[in-house]
Amino acid sequence: MTISTTQIFRQGINAILDQQEGLSRTQLQIASGKRIQTPSDDPSGAVKVIDIDEQIATAEQHLRNGQFARTELSLEEGAMTGAQNVLQRVRELMIQANNDTQSEETRQGIATEVRARRDELLALANARNASGEFLFAGFKTDNLPFSLSGGNVVYNGDQGQRRIQVGPSSLVPVSDSGVDVFQLIKTGNGTLSADNAGSNTGSGTVRSLSQNSSFVSDTYTLSFIQAAPTDPVTYEVRDSSAALVTAGSYVSGESIAFNGIAMAIEGVPANGDSFTASPAINQDVFTTLNNIIVALEAPSTELADNASFHNEMSEGLNNIDQALENFLRIRSNIGSRLNNLDSQSEVNENFLLRMKDAASQVQDLDYAEAISRLSAQATSLEAAQKVFIEVQGLSLFDFL
Amino acid sequence: MADLLGIASSGLGAIQQALSTTGHNIANVNTEGYSRQIADFSTLPAQRVGDSYTGSGVEVGAVRRGYDSFVVGELRTRGSKLGMANAFESLASGLDSLVGDSDNGLAPALEGFFNSVQGVASDPGSLSARQILLSDAQILTDRFTQLNSSLLGFERDANNRITSAVGEINGLAANIAELNADITLALGSGGAPNDLLDQRDALLMQLSDKVGILTLEQSDGAVNVFVGKGQPLVVGGTAQQLEVVSSSIYPNRLEVGVAQPGGSTQIISQQISGGELQGVLDFRSRVLDPAISELGRVAVAMTDLVNAQHNLGMDLNGQLGGDFFSALSPTVIASANNSTTAPVATASLTIDSTSDLEATDYLLVYDGAQWGLTRTSDGAFFSDVAGNFALDGVTVSVGGTPAAGDTFLLRPVYGAAGQFGLELTAPDQLAAAGPVVSSQALSNSGSASVGELGVSSTVGLPLAGDITLSFNPDALGAGVPGFDVVGGPGGTIAFDPATESGGKTFTFAGSGGLSFTLSGIPNNGDVFTLSPNSGAPGDNRNALLLGSMQSQGLVDGSTATFGEAYSGMIGGVGVATRQAQANLQAEDSLMENAVAARERVSGVNLEQEAAELVRLQQAYQAAAQLVAIADTLFQTLLGATRR
Repeated sequence: MTISTTQIFRQGINAILDQQEGLSRTQLQIASGKRIQTPSDDPSGAVKVIDIDEQIATAEQHLRNGQFARTELSLEEGAMTGAQNVLQRVRELMIQANNDTQSEETRQGIATEVRARRDELLALANARNASGEFLFAGFKTDNLPFSLSGGNVVYNGDQGQRRIQVGPSSLVPVSDSGVDVFQLIKTGNGTLSADNAGSNTGSGTVRSLSQNSSFVSDTYTLSFIQAAPTDPVTYEVRDSSAALVTAGSYVSGESIAFNGIAMAIEGVPANGDSFTASPAINQDVFTTLNNIIVALEAPSTELADNASFHNEMSEGLNNIDQALENFLRIRSNIGSRLNNLDSQSEVNENFLLRMKDAASQVQDLDYAEAISRLSAQATSLEAAQKVFIEVQGLSLFDFL
Repeated sequence: MADLLGIASSGLGAIQQALSTTGHNIANVNTEGYSRQIADFSTLPAQRVGDSYTGSGVEVGAVRRGYDSFVVGELRTRGSKLGMANAFESLASGLDSLVGDSDNGLAPALEGFFNSVQGVASDPGSLSARQILLSDAQILTDRFTQLNSSLLGFERDANNRITSAVGEINGLAANIAELNADITLALGSGGAPNDLLDQRDALLMQLSDKVGILTLEQSDGAVNVFVGKGQPLVVGGTAQQLEVVSSSIYPNRLEVGVAQPGGSTQIISQQISGGELQGVLDFRSRVLDPAISELGRVAVAMTDLVNAQHNLGMDLNGQLGGDFFSALSPTVIASANNSTTAPVATASLTIDSTSDLEATDYLLVYDGAQWGLTRTSDGAFFSDVAGNFALDGVTVSVGGTPAAGDTFLLRPVYGAAGQFGLELTAPDQLAAAGPVVSSQALSNSGSASVGELGVSSTVGLPLAGDITLSFNPDALGAGVPGFDVVGGPGGTIAFDPATESGGKTFTFAGSGGLSFTLSGIPNNGDVFTLSPNSGAPGDNRNALLLGSMQSQGLVDGSTATFGEAYSGMIGGVGVATRQAQANLQAEDSLMENAVAARERVSGVNLEQEAAELVRLQQAYQAAAQLVAIADTLFQTLLGATRR
């Protein structure tokens, strides 16, 4: 078979060019550290890398979001700790004031401190975050949430709760509205609340109030009757439509039971004195504090004043306990959100690690393999060059 | 004696001619398309002397080419396949490295955009977070338009290659026609004009690299050349010209045509097979068009869906969100050849569901009896007499009176990325907040609450006023509990705390499609209020919904995210390029085989020629010796007779 001279030349050159192309490709891979230079090198791998990169960017954003959420929640937790401390102090002051050894002056002094504590709580309720947004204003973060208006505190925010995306399907709340924290607080024991009529003249005070499962929700009025000072004191209980529920003889400190309610009065109620037991309502913590201040500042020279004062104090204590309970609930919510953030950020970190590993497996170069390939290709190129020179050196014309 | 000298000189002459042929071979060893020539010796007619014939010498009968027409035909076929593979691969590789460059790609811009949306969702009141989102949206916009114009740059490339290829084809055709004439003339006056034949073969080879051809050898030695489905390019000594014409329907697109008698031009782009021309046309229809359409589809889906969600939010000024990105509209192009008899046919295209769009164009053609719609991506064909079509998330309708052959090009997504634009200008226009807020009255004593507030339509938004829901145990008649609704749709909604305290969802279609879930146990008189939202910079609900679009399947029949739809386009280009590379490699080695086959028959081997030189030199020396012997014989005779 005849092989033409140009064909021999062509074959030699092509062999060298092929080897050079492979070598330069390997060189590019080693220089960039990437196995995939253009999508055509591995189309499905290239697509995978783009998708993985997006997942990585998203996970990193979720981590940043988590950090932001943590800052917000820590601020709120700080404010809640402050609020709890305020109420604890108020509670101590009230117990101190409720003691009969206190004079009107010392009570006035306590009232002044409670007033200062109320202002402190107001400041906490109006706390801001780093960017100047109010923590407890719901969505209306640029509105001062609680302001004083005619001695009362009014709420100017809304009931929105901001949530932040910290995982593909995980939204963590990072705020609680002022309504939720400071306003939606039940009075009394949370279900029932007792009150004394302002016109009471006796020394009767509410000792206890409780309900069981057969409680019929309504407002009940307990009135005391003593036609003549020598008569025994009797009572009757009427519901909101003035129907008689129960009646009997009064024994100080003894529980009066009706419609699932057990109410005990102690002291000596006067004829016509009355108490109410009504379903608890929501009362904001500032109203509770204001009522306490009013009670502390009221003159208490007469017996009836004293009884009324004790009633107000025990009502106030109940309400403060309810408020403390609500604060505790909010704080434990914050705690569980922070825990959630921790575990979510761990999930995100792990995910990120896995994704980066996956991306690396798809696109990164196996250096050991690439370098041994490089030396193999270099050897082949050298061989091709040698063969070319050898073959080209052979010619019959040299012998003519 | 005289005979002997005659034989010797015939030998010297013939061998000299053969030596020249060998020399010619050696000289042309590197000439492209040269075929080795062989001088064939033959004996001169013998003389009858007595009873026997005595030879009278030698002559060169013919100088022929080492040639195999089958091998050369195969070479041309491979040449046009290789030309096609080459053009396709070089364009596809260019596109491949363009879209593969992640720094210029859409993916980082998409990630940046959605990350900034999340940034706003985390801190919706922050003007700087909003400003960052706006600038990231601008980057996204720039990427879309840059990518689109880079892709359109390949369309221009394709046009340029078509123009230059057609120019070369016409030049080659003219040269071949000239050679045809020369060869016919030369053949008429004697032996084969080997070098002219070689030249013509070389030109035919170059021509087949540009376009697939069919050749037919005529008895007079001329070769007729045809392209496409038998359109003559060279007939004997005359060449037909190909033309480059603008497409009648595709804007900025060139087609290949042949001038017809009467001045019209017949488009033959569809019929061309092989060569650089087909490579370019194939690249355009199989790689470039799908890529531009895929990118356009991402742009259309993003614009439409992000706008729809943004319209449902509230901005910092208490206004409903406007369009985030500039609205895009589909393109309908009527063919320049459509009938102009009034009322002219019209076609319209509307997009019903961006999530269902296919990345393709549609060709709408009236055949005289009915309308036919061809999806260009896969060639699927649909027909309807009235011309109404609803498919792939689009609706097509027609108007006017069509004439047979009227054609429309419908482009729901192609090129839309070039129109992608940012509509939002100020950070406070960003609608991060929800349009409705719920609240419960402080006097509520029950445990019920309102949750999962959402809206689905701008109809009835923003709410005209508060909608209050008051629980009433007898709302729907004695003993049938529910809520009395004031505002909004009014009336009552049924809710039984005894069985539905786990949560019941309601929808007020006329009030922004407002939906909410009531759960828990309300007490008589408990009131919930749904109010229009305003002045709530801390509200991030709509920003969260915008952010969640990143991971939702919203494109390609709701199966792909925006990012996946884009990476799908890159995968498509990558696969096509990889195929093109493999194809080119295969064609390359097939071409090598074809070349080797031709070289075996027609190539010059210098060793062989050297040996030939030695052989002829020896023969020449012998023939020269013959002259000397004839001379000696003659001198001997003279010497003998001188005495």
